[in-house]
Amino acid sequence: MPTMFAAAGVDDLVKTGGSCRVSADVKPRFKPGAKVLVRNINPVSHTRLPQYVRGKRGVIQHDHGVFVFPDTNAVLNGEKPQHVYSVMFSARDLWGAEAPEKDKLYIDLFDDYMDPIP
Amino acid sequence: MNGIHDLGGRHGMGPIDIDPGQPIFRADWERRMFGMFILAFAGGHFNIDQFRAAIELMHPAEYLESDYYEHWLHSLEAWCKANGSLTEQEIEDRVQKLAKGDA
Repeated sequence: MPTMFAAAGVDDLVKTGGSCRVSADVKPRFKPGAKVLVRNINPVSHTRLPQYVRGKRGVIQHDHGVFVFPDTNAVLNGEKPQHVYSVMFSARDLWGAEAPEKDKLYIDLFDDYMDPIP
Repeated sequence: MNGIHDLGGRHGMGPIDIDPGQPIFRADWERRMFGMFILAFAGGHFNIDQFRAAIELMHPAEYLESDYYEHWLHSLEAWCKANGSLTEQEIEDRVQKLAKGDA
């Protein structure tokens, strides 16, 4: 979906819903299995990064493809297309020692939200 | 932003309604709100991320006390006022007319 939506697409939008997937040729920074550290960012503008995963360690599970980056698109600072991944976190890493040992949380995160862990 | 919308991990909010049989629209005004969103979106008043950002700027207490489509209305009004296609006075006038059954 482009930055501004075209009237010609209204029928399809209502029938099938919208998607911010784009066909830009962008290389992924992470592969499935890679360990990542989520950045601790606190922008006063829009972000799709929830507070509860900031600063936490996760593992890339799946690459969903390339999408418009909401954080920049929300302030008309460009679409900055990038990969979005399903990332796995252990419940104990997020919620502490009393969380069930085997529970996992999977959340979709944009490339820019993470750094690699060697 | 670290706003009231980011509720993941918060306690005391009650159970999440996951009933798959719940209606798409719980009132007729919600159906109209959906249509207004689509038209304003297609009309170029905002992109989807701007639309969500304005919802996050709602007053926290108002955000928690209002319904999903009221959040949409808030954002739609905010962007249409920001780009000059709608004024607070026009909204007020319309509300007054509706209150009198005169719309």
